[in-house]
Amino acid sequence: MKRKLISAIGVAGMMISLAACGGDNGDGGDKAGADGYAGQTLTVWVMDGSSPDQWQKDVAAAFEKQTKAKVKFEIQQWNGIQQKLTTALSEENPPDVFEIGNTQTPAYAKTGGLADLADLKTSIGADWTESLNESSLYDGKQYAAPWYFANRVVLYNKKIWAEAGLKDTPKTRDELYADLKQIGEKTDAEPIYLPGQNWYHFVGLTIGEGAELVKKDGDSYVSNLADPKVAAAMETYKKFQALSKAPKDKDEATPQQGEVFGKGNVGAFIGMGWEAGIAIKANPKIEKEIGYFTIPGATADKPEGVFLGGSNLAVAAGSEKQELAKEFLKIALSDKYEGELAKLNGVIPNKESLQTNLKGNVVAEAAAPAAAGGGTTPLIPEWAAVENAPNPIKTYMTAVLNGKSPAEAAAQVEDEFNKRLSQQQ
Amino acid sequence: MKRSLFGRLWPNVTAVVLFIGFVFPVYWMFATAFKPTGDIISEDPVWFPTDITFEHFKRATGVDHFWTYVTNSLIVTLCAVVLALVIALAGSFALARMRFKGRRGFVIGFMLAQMAPWEVMIIAMYMIVRDASMLNSLVPLTVFYMMMILPFTILTLRGFVAAVPRELEEAAMVDGCTRAQAFRKVILPLLAPGLMSTSLFGFITAWNEFPLVLVLNKETEAQTLPLWLSSFQTAFGNDWGATMAASSLFAIPILILFVFLQRRAVSGLTAGAVKG
Amino acid sequence: MTVQTERPPSGPVDVAKRAESGPAGPGRRAASRLGPLTPYLLLLPACAATVLLLGWPLLKDVLLSFQNLNMAQLIQHVTEWNGIDNYKEVLTGEDFWRVTLRSILFTAVNVVLIMILGALVGLLLARLGRRMRVTLMIGLVLAWAMPVVAATTVYQWLFAQRFGVVNWVLDKLGWHSMADYSWTSSQMSTFFVVTVLIVWQSIPFVAINLYAATTTIPSELYEAASLDGAGGWQSFTTVTLPFLRPFLYATTFLEVIWVFKAFVQVFTINGGGPDRLTEILPVYAYIEGVGNQHYGMGAAIAVLTILILLGLTAYYLRIVLKQEEEEV
Repeated sequence: MKRKLISAIGVAGMMISLAACGGDNGDGGDKAGADGYAGQTLTVWVMDGSSPDQWQKDVAAAFEKQTKAKVKFEIQQWNGIQQKLTTALSEENPPDVFEIGNTQTPAYAKTGGLADLADLKTSIGADWTESLNESSLYDGKQYAAPWYFANRVVLYNKKIWAEAGLKDTPKTRDELYADLKQIGEKTDAEPIYLPGQNWYHFVGLTIGEGAELVKKDGDSYVSNLADPKVAAAMETYKKFQALSKAPKDKDEATPQQGEVFGKGNVGAFIGMGWEAGIAIKANPKIEKEIGYFTIPGATADKPEGVFLGGSNLAVAAGSEKQELAKEFLKIALSDKYEGELAKLNGVIPNKESLQTNLKGNVVAEAAAPAAAGGGTTPLIPEWAAVENAPNPIKTYMTAVLNGKSPAEAAAQVEDEFNKRLSQQQ
Repeated sequence: MKRSLFGRLWPNVTAVVLFIGFVFPVYWMFATAFKPTGDIISEDPVWFPTDITFEHFKRATGVDHFWTYVTNSLIVTLCAVVLALVIALAGSFALARMRFKGRRGFVIGFMLAQMAPWEVMIIAMYMIVRDASMLNSLVPLTVFYMMMILPFTILTLRGFVAAVPRELEEAAMVDGCTRAQAFRKVILPLLAPGLMSTSLFGFITAWNEFPLVLVLNKETEAQTLPLWLSSFQTAFGNDWGATMAASSLFAIPILILFVFLQRRAVSGLTAGAVKG
Repeated sequence: MTVQTERPPSGPVDVAKRAESGPAGPGRRAASRLGPLTPYLLLLPACAATVLLLGWPLLKDVLLSFQNLNMAQLIQHVTEWNGIDNYKEVLTGEDFWRVTLRSILFTAVNVVLIMILGALVGLLLARLGRRMRVTLMIGLVLAWAMPVVAATTVYQWLFAQRFGVVNWVLDKLGWHSMADYSWTSSQMSTFFVVTVLIVWQSIPFVAINLYAATTTIPSELYEAASLDGAGGWQSFTTVTLPFLRPFLYATTFLEVIWVFKAFVQVFTINGGGPDRLTEILPVYAYIEGVGNQHYGMGAAIAVLTILILLGLTAYYLRIVLKQEEEEV
């Protein structure tokens, strides 16, 4: 091993002067030629897990057929995406099209990094669902196109629930709690995997309580975490978190909760429907055991409040392929492919007319009842700064879970929260 | 001079305890990497893996572009180290052997340069490279890594150059060599251990660097191994088997290089480099 | 992550600098024969590289620190000067001073531990028999050679809340509350892990170099000391310590720099958390600047960080300055 390595280094060393220390930027000309867009490649950033391989393949094929240009999908991680996106948008070759979270869109719209998509809205966006398009609008201009939306459900392991003697899925919060307790008592499994910082779920709970995370103070926004309604949401979270052995200071992505669930020793977790895919990838045998149900609310007639997460597609203002990028959006957001995405991932499409694609989809059927009562974080440019690590809301959650009272925890993070909300733009 | 039994025993006992303490994390990394997952997440640790599996290594190296990362890392690291050695050798020779105005200033200057906290200047470096249209290239990485290791290399080599007896050089010059020839034929061979041990430091530094490459090179074609290793935290979650396999692979070149070169480095050192 | 968080291989550091103070005559003669410009020419590449690759980013950083540079300005390449606003905001805030104090304490604790334990291990090496010494050396070299990124990952695994071997051992030793302990849950426990990691990786450098240095102490010095009736401790303080002093100064200087800049370890173990309580200056600069996309502010903190590091090492730099003066 040693000798081999040394000789490998020697060879590489010889190559240095010849080949190394070089790199180039790939793409040559970016102008749209007379012969369609042949020879060009469009770079599209999509988030990890948000669009299935099948969809990417189909869209790429259709795009290539129509424009003669190629498309390159690059998968991005949510962790650190804002820092990466900001620098990328300032570069000569930014990604031409990229997925951007709905809570982050207003901030980027304000930076001037996103191209105006007014004509796209006219040509294909007339019947976009208004509430879903809200985050793409800033100052009355269309800075992104709504892509898909989703809310969290409970994903559970049918085998473990059967083992614990549970037949029906719970209809109220208390029933859910009792069921999970029963799993803890009757099986070796961990009843629920709920890390301390699944803050999107917490945001959902605050929406269920009718609480606001920020309030207006004169011209600016300030923390509203001290609101007793926020505290009530946190108490609910804490009660369920106590049933989990998950770390109190980590979010649902470190480690990926789907992967933990995939090991087969966890009763349930709260997540996006597509997270089942992560579990299946980790352990294909788990596929037939996964079930879904709506997160139950305080009473049976009203499901829990949920965070209506979603993503928009935007075009970089600095992209030299504006027209081609719009061509891509027209295809990706066409009824055919928007419908396909909804069908494959069980997510809410950007038009009501496409919701028929969700019929028979177990995830979508579990998610749908709660979606009506869903909400988002405040759609203000100031919000994006809050989500940068260390997110003060996550800090608040961990503090409460570690024994602080919600009021104390709110006071603890208030300065940081307000600082971010008032951060100079 | 005879010591009591206790006097002879305690240094050895302490040494054994220390040995275990220093080696254990390294051992545990390799042991975990070779253990089947069931043994990794067991209530009682499996101290000595009996079922050896290569599954984790397969997973770690099965990532797209793995070999691109390896090649890039090797190129950048070797280029940076070689460049730094060449530049530093010239400079350190001047600092160690010549008397000239401002010499002190140069020494202090390199000491200051050695203190540069690079990770806090990332954005400034990024903007420079961006505005020079050199993103996603290995060139800026190489030269910046070279700079990161240059001051230490100069200052260390200066010590090694100074340790070569002046008389040898003079003798060569008496024999008709020019100063440059004397340097090449007499000093350079004697400096070999010094060059090796110094290059080790450079190798480790460049091999490890990741905040800069993270922001400069967004295209996978121009990324390096540390990014691959750090991505395991998110991509593989708490899959400690794969993570430890990746860490092992990342550490092995350095460990081998170190064990190989360290002996010479220390022998070079004890041969008289240190003359307090 | 960068250079100096690494353990360098054994080098003679700057201890060797006195070796050059031999007869200056021949050197001077040779230099004059080649022309007085030779040393400058030899130093030219190094200086050019330093100015271009370090000086320029540094200057850029200083310029950025006087700008309002956030997402919008970065994306649109807009330069918005805002005078000393960034400095005003940083220096009047409580955070900066708290982080500075924490950084200094963190550096002090680590460096003291490293120097004392490192020196003890070094002296132990000198006392061991050959076989034992080689064994311990191998252990030290392995720890020293571990790349920081890999070592940090391994420590996360050792101290993992679930299935981490440290928690298991503590539990078996009767400390049952530690069975499921989360080491990243509090400020002190996070610092504990980081400190163990840094000290573990740094001791070998000090120990091996110190051992190498002790082997060069002429044995006549000890003989003379024992003739004067010095005991073990006395010969240590009168012979060993003075002999090693320059080495100890130089090593302490390097350790101060490395520990102060230990970005990777702190950032990777817990991202400066919980609740930003383990942020040291470089981490703070990174989180405020890059993390919060408040780049101008980050640049200002970076400049202040550099000044503080200069302050911390000023004492040593003065010694070097004096020393070099004597030699010229």
